[in-house]
Amino acid sequence: MPEGFASTPDPIARLIDAFHKLPGIGPKSAQRLAYHILRVPEHEADALAQAIVDVKRRIALCSICLNITEADPCIYCTSERRDPTAICVVEQALDILAIERTGFRGRYHVLHGVLNPMDGVGPDDLRIRELLARLGDHGVTEVIMATNPNLEGEATSMYIQRLVGPLGIRVTRLARGLPSGADLEYTDDVTLSRAFEGRQELR
Amino acid sequence: MSGRPRVYKTEAIVLRRRNVGEADSIFTLLFPREGKFDAVARGVRKARSHMRGHLEPLTRSRVMLAQGRSLDVLTQAETIAPYLVVRGDLERSAAALYGAELIDRFVGEREAAQEAFALFSLTLDALEGGLSCNVLRWFEVQLLGLSGYEFQVETCAVCSKRLTAQDTLLCPGAGGLVCEGCRAGAGPARLLSLRAIKVLRYARSATIDQFASVNCDEMLERELRSALADLVREVTEVDTRAGRFVDDVASLPAHVPSPPLDRDSVYNEAIQS
Repeated sequence: MPEGFASTPDPIARLIDAFHKLPGIGPKSAQRLAYHILRVPEHEADALAQAIVDVKRRIALCSICLNITEADPCIYCTSERRDPTAICVVEQALDILAIERTGFRGRYHVLHGVLNPMDGVGPDDLRIRELLARLGDHGVTEVIMATNPNLEGEATSMYIQRLVGPLGIRVTRLARGLPSGADLEYTDDVTLSRAFEGRQELR
Repeated sequence: MSGRPRVYKTEAIVLRRRNVGEADSIFTLLFPREGKFDAVARGVRKARSHMRGHLEPLTRSRVMLAQGRSLDVLTQAETIAPYLVVRGDLERSAAALYGAELIDRFVGEREAAQEAFALFSLTLDALEGGLSCNVLRWFEVQLLGLSGYEFQVETCAVCSKRLTAQDTLLCPGAGGLVCEGCRAGAGPARLLSLRAIKVLRYARSATIDQFASVNCDEMLERELRSALADLVREVTEVDTRAGRFVDDVASLPAHVPSPPLDRDSVYNEAIQS
């Protein structure tokens, strides 16, 4: 390096490079994070490094539902208090946390994505084959599609319905309509139509 | 300095969406006058975003944009045509997504696309109105023509000799049908039946409604699909991704309605207990 040129020590440059690879982190944010790590006490930096190592070494996919888990099979697949005849299909593992808060006590299946033909994500890129393989077990009677209510999520649900329907298993999907706190004035036509279709008697 | 006003309103068809950052999305939009370009919508993925449902792919919306430094910013959106039927049917969704990918590949950034906009709107309206998915073949023929890739179906693409009414070789590299004499050196080719050639000729002059009434059996439909896929590939130089999805969907078993559930759902049992 010629004299007069600022050079970043190699370990910091490597850390900046590593942060830069994370989603949503640009070059400036990567620099800020790296210099923050430089300033924190050593035990905090060690804890971060250990957490990253642990998550890569100890976390795997459940061999049944493909949820991320420390123990294989995961707690949702081994719990005897859960109904094995209903499988809720979600796009990603994080969706399970949201559904758990509602009180659902069936089993799950994580697709790890949705069909997105324009971006080249086809059926073979999702864990659909693993779902079909599970359907003979434990007398599954219902597959609940909990994909996002957008074009890609809907296409994925319809695609799976076409494969599961002929097996004589009921395929349902989450109701679509107005979210709590919504303004009718700003609601799009699709949501409003679906809300009308799913209207319920006041009790 | 661009000639666009700082804030402008226009109609647009949403072709695709890419999520960026925490809650933003970049949309590829097709405009009647301004052509095709990307615009960003800030915070559109948040549950309380007013624009969210109005910017779903394959929606025709009225949008307001503000000029941005790199990308224009979507500030308002209101649905004109939500294409509910298309959205609720797998074959139609796949067909419409294929159409959107072709438009995305054929229309250049910010180049006038009035005819392409009208063509895609018409095709989406037709799919929404219940016309058969074979209107996609009409769409492909028209789009190839609009984009300057009109292929020869009346005369030989190499020697310009008038073709006789018989099965003939389609050679995308040469620009259309070729006669027996010009076959050598014309590049890869497939034999096209006279029926398929007649349908391709008809697609040039027919309206979408007239074309939809053409009686295409499964064999003819497959032949036309492959022939037009070859012609499209000749222009785009790659297989279309949504085209593969259309084929995937075509190979699925027919729709079988779900049997009724003979008990309350697991969710209801859980929250009632």
